[in-house]
Amino acid sequence: MLERKSKQHSVRDAVALIKDGDKVAIGGSLIRRAPMALVREIVRQKKKDLTLYSWSGGMDYDLLIGAGCVKEAWSSYCGLFQFGMAMNFRRGVESGQVRFVDLSETCAKDKFRAAAFGNTYCISKVPLHTSIMENPEFQNIVTCPFTGEEYVAMEAYHPDVAILHAHRADKYGNVQFDPIRMMDNECDILIAKSAKKVIVSVEEIVNESVVVQNPTWTMLPKIFIDAVVEIPFGAHPNSCDALYDFDLEHGRMYRDYSKTPEKFLEYLNEFVYSCLEHESYIDKCGGTAALKKLCRPAKEKNDG
Amino acid sequence: MDRGYTLAELLAVEASRYVRDDEMNFVGIGTGGQSWIMAVGMPTVAVSLAQHKHAPNATLMIGPVLDPLLDDEYVPDANWEYDLIYWPCRSQIPLEDALGIFRLGKVGLSFASAAQVDIYGNLNIGRIGTKDNMKVRLPGCLAQTDHGAYAKRICVTVRHNKRTLVEHVDFISCAGNENRKGLPGGGPALVLTDKAVMDFDENTGKMRLKSIHQGVTLTDVIENTGFDLIIPERVPRTEPPTSEELKLIRLIIDPKGKFLEARITQEAANLN
Repeated sequence: MLERKSKQHSVRDAVALIKDGDKVAIGGSLIRRAPMALVREIVRQKKKDLTLYSWSGGMDYDLLIGAGCVKEAWSSYCGLFQFGMAMNFRRGVESGQVRFVDLSETCAKDKFRAAAFGNTYCISKVPLHTSIMENPEFQNIVTCPFTGEEYVAMEAYHPDVAILHAHRADKYGNVQFDPIRMMDNECDILIAKSAKKVIVSVEEIVNESVVVQNPTWTMLPKIFIDAVVEIPFGAHPNSCDALYDFDLEHGRMYRDYSKTPEKFLEYLNEFVYSCLEHESYIDKCGGTAALKKLCRPAKEKNDG
Repeated sequence: MDRGYTLAELLAVEASRYVRDDEMNFVGIGTGGQSWIMAVGMPTVAVSLAQHKHAPNATLMIGPVLDPLLDDEYVPDANWEYDLIYWPCRSQIPLEDALGIFRLGKVGLSFASAAQVDIYGNLNIGRIGTKDNMKVRLPGCLAQTDHGAYAKRICVTVRHNKRTLVEHVDFISCAGNENRKGLPGGGPALVLTDKAVMDFDENTGKMRLKSIHQGVTLTDVIENTGFDLIIPERVPRTEPPTSEELKLIRLIIDPKGKFLEARITQEAANLN
């Protein structure tokens, strides 16, 4: 048989696919399963003028805004969940440095879904009579030709690149998610399908024969994928479904560092710029042994 | 003053009266502390209490967990992602499909909180200040605009003060009652605070005092509201919880204060 293409890349090469000014869609939600190692590499490569799309942003948005990589961001949320406000996001938007476009959760998901289904726009009643309509992108009213009902027309998201974190993949780019997972993050599948290029970090790269054992877990077959990168704890300090918890200690530290731009630069120096490899970031966070404390045992469930 | 029940218990019992059988009810997943109790803990106890008392087929959607077992023995000790994933429940479906339940008109009561609420029940969780002169950028709309558009009835729970109950909100994350043309849902129906219960006038859509909690005066309510509340001629006391309701809450539903004292979160608190 002819050799097939490997899509396994280093984190550096994978993130090099992103260009200054790109529209980048990010998976995960709140502070759960965002591809944080890929996000840190974007910061290290000093990407500029990015537009960010997600349905629910968190530390991913805040870090990229705090590092000066972002000119525009769209989402239904940007905060640090139980750690309160995302301060870099607040400063960026309040000062006018970053244009933030408000959406609701369904509006954002609809825009990804429209693109994933090959459509150029979608319709929704949700923005009617709300401040979502204050932005020019949400002022096109269309009338249903069958019932006469009014909807706001919303253009499909067409990100240049989508970045996600998943559980495993083979080197050909068949990406799997465990059946026990946070169903809030299912939108990752639509996000991937909406983008021109897709970069996925995974907890482990496995042999294709492992993937073949459970093909229904391959929710993103290789046809959708441009690069897979093996990054254990690649969502850290975000949680990753039932695999590991959010790192509370790191979250508190992040909150304190992000109180001022000066302090935040110290965070970037310590945990991003000086960590040329993911391994050195893990060491800064106490090493693999410390991070394993965030893992709790899988329980019996009749899935899969 | 010891009323023999806490504010959180009073509000949970009051909210439970608006939960109807066979409907799905919505709460978000919130963050922690007092705001969590108002947005998540109290509403969850309200739905659970309604299931025990008059609405056995009512269901709850709490974030991604659809129709969870709500008695204390099944409720996890923490609300980490891991714990939510393993919380015994009848269904976990993709969030886009769970939110699709709204659009099919199957959500009865949805619970919301906000930084600002105005006389028509417009809610604001977007920003304080104008777009060009922003004082505070808040986290954003989340799913509030979605259930705001589609839920049959919205129950809003906030602190009763002039900073929160304002004449005009700075940003509309949930459409209030003055203009809902084209929105299928019923809009804001009920406002619960630490002082009173409010509803909305059927004709004008304006907020109206419904009952005042024990130990609170009418002057106290008026002085802490940032607009002219409609005050009916006779304003009753908010009906206190019965001993049966308190027993259900304290022994079966929430004996450890996971909900009404936010002990399931990383930040325990008290509404009083």
